[in-house]
Amino acid sequence: MTQSDSSTTASLELFSQAPAPIPRRPRVLLMGTVLAGSAALAAMAALVAVYMQVRADRLANPAFSSWLDEAHVELTPGNVAFVTLLMSAVTAAAAGYSLRRGDRSHAYLSLGTTLMFGVAFLTGTVYIWEQLGEGIEGKAPVVLILTITGAHVAMVVAGMLYLLVMGFRALGGQLTGRAAEGYNAAVVFWYFTIAMYSMVWYAIYITK
Amino acid sequence: MTVTEAPPDELVADAAEIDQAPATGLAALVGSGEPRSIGKLFVGTSLLFLLMSGVTGVLVGLDLANVASGDVLASGSFDQVVTLHQLSGLFLVVLPLLLGLALAVVPLQVGASTVAFPRASAAAYWTYLVSGGLMVAAYVADGGPFGGDSDAVGLFVVALVSLVVALCVVTISIMTTVLAMRPPGMTLRRTPLLSWSMVVAGTIWLLTLPVLAAFLALFYVDFTYGGGSLFSEGSAELYDQIRWMFWQPAVYAFAIPALGIIGDIVPVFAQRRHHRHNVALVLIGLFGALSFGAWLQVGRLSGDASEVVSVGSVAWLYEVPWIAVSVLALLPLLGLLGLWTVTLLKGRPRLESPLLLALGAGLLLVLGVAAGVGTVVRDLDLFGTTWVTGQSYAILVGTLMAAIAGVVYWAPKLYGRLLPEGLGKLSAPLLLVGGLLLVLPYTIAGFLHQPWQVPTFIDQGNEVTEQDAVEVLNLLASIGGGVVLLAVVLFGAGLLRKAARKPATADDDPWNGHTLEWTTSSPPPVGHFAEVLEVTSEAPLYDKRHADAAAASESEVSA
Repeated sequence: MTQSDSSTTASLELFSQAPAPIPRRPRVLLMGTVLAGSAALAAMAALVAVYMQVRADRLANPAFSSWLDEAHVELTPGNVAFVTLLMSAVTAAAAGYSLRRGDRSHAYLSLGTTLMFGVAFLTGTVYIWEQLGEGIEGKAPVVLILTITGAHVAMVVAGMLYLLVMGFRALGGQLTGRAAEGYNAAVVFWYFTIAMYSMVWYAIYITK
Repeated sequence: MTVTEAPPDELVADAAEIDQAPATGLAALVGSGEPRSIGKLFVGTSLLFLLMSGVTGVLVGLDLANVASGDVLASGSFDQVVTLHQLSGLFLVVLPLLLGLALAVVPLQVGASTVAFPRASAAAYWTYLVSGGLMVAAYVADGGPFGGDSDAVGLFVVALVSLVVALCVVTISIMTTVLAMRPPGMTLRRTPLLSWSMVVAGTIWLLTLPVLAAFLALFYVDFTYGGGSLFSEGSAELYDQIRWMFWQPAVYAFAIPALGIIGDIVPVFAQRRHHRHNVALVLIGLFGALSFGAWLQVGRLSGDASEVVSVGSVAWLYEVPWIAVSVLALLPLLGLLGLWTVTLLKGRPRLESPLLLALGAGLLLVLGVAAGVGTVVRDLDLFGTTWVTGQSYAILVGTLMAAIAGVVYWAPKLYGRLLPEGLGKLSAPLLLVGGLLLVLPYTIAGFLHQPWQVPTFIDQGNEVTEQDAVEVLNLLASIGGGVVLLAVVLFGAGLLRKAARKPATADDDPWNGHTLEWTTSSPPPVGHFAEVLEVTSEAPLYDKRHADAAAASESEVSA
């Protein structure tokens, strides 16, 4: 037997003693999040569809000169809120990247920045609500805008909590396996909130 | 020296003892995250709610037996009672019953140790229970659609939204179990039909129920704070935002799991494989796709509730797809019926109670979907009449019957006991006859143009055509509803009597089943399986049984 043959045999023996590969974990949390996000997206799509329908009906009615007679909606705050959310998508992904690499300091920084963007979005939305004008009674556009943006704010708050919990669980030492999947699931949910806002942004701020 | 602290080893042992002590009584019930327990809670509670839904339905039918004066219900309460009957029938009975059954059975079918989100499922059950109670309380306080008390109307809306959210959470839990927790070898093509149908149904429900919740939330904001800027008629307009759930195609979505239940029962009692299992998967998927109906609601927002098409210049956008799906939905159902017939003809059918119930359910479902084809024929002018009511009854009673077939079939896994065969064999004809007696008179009365809201119609100064005949038909429908109720009461009483007994007596596989749930004990232990059978086809246990029989005969020959 040559030296190379004996080393090959030794390697094979070593392989045979190696433990079986860990079975791939079912991505339960990720799958559940995708399904929940899809359901929330369907609800938001319905609200936006109602908004567009009611708006079209009003514009076709000669009694109304414009859709937003009773409400004041500016484009700039809506744009800023949208850009804020888009930036948060990048930082949320960066936090995930840092977590996977075990880079805790950058993970903290990215997660913190994402949450800060979330808070900035919320304050921006509150500003938009203040700009709408006082009272909603008898004002169909205001009722619709408040319902739609309110539902979206609820989603954003839920997304921030999800990111926070999963982020801290991952940073608490569970950088792989279920905790990493949990953080990825939270990021996916965050993306859903951004997708929802793209509909809201187009329907309310762009079409006006 | 005095020892003031227990040594660490003892503390650890004590903690382990505390952790392992099983909860009992109320704590065990409330704190259980075991899918079988939660599923049983869903099944039991939905059967209790069925009593209320059934009684209100019979009262409505009896009231309609005299359309002019309405002898039974107090003046002005007809609309509230009929909506309570319909809403509780769907959201408190049929959907939770299906979800409860699936919660207990689906993890077993796909070889999973538990359901994907057990604690979320448990929380969803308690939310369902509380929301259901609040919904009924809101009606009692003059709330609900057509209610006069604005606070109670608001309470009703909040309760219904909570209920929808709870049902969505359970749906997500079951779908995730099927999609992410199957064992190696069980591809989606090899998934048992109930599990597959839950994926299909769940997809449609998750795209439909949130739309309903969104409309309800919008109504709530407008009703409570907006002064009716969108819904100017207040609670009278509320039901227009919900009614579409009972119309085709949306109502078909609730029947999808019924197809899975029938599809799992038929081959076991035919004692052969499901004929063309792959085709059955496709047909169930197709039926599901055609039953997506949330788009109809958005199109109806600004229209008259008595007309299907209400969007002016884009009318065709809604009418053409509506007609198309109404007609096409019948085809996959007929295809499935054909596959089940072939399976039975090629097999050696055992006419036991699950099969009888499943076949009766299939008949009612075909009847309901076929009636939907008639609904879209404009010249017949059936929309807005009790034709649609009868059609909805056919679908929902058919689904209820399939769910009861499922409870009878999977009773060993749910309760550890087989239910009495006589109970199932009594329930099957009662449910079928009662269902037909409920459906056919209402559809015929609809054909005679009886509107669904008869008292309002008469209050507006209109007259019902063929009034005498319509009254007789309404009475017959009421009797049919009573027979269905009687069947369910008998079944529920039998179930309670058997299920409460201990210890378990059923064999692991009393029906000679085909799928994984029959490889574990009855009832299954926590964790379900010591070892999951290798899955190489859609009927692994059937294969194993035949392989074992072949090996035994070979060894006999060689000996």
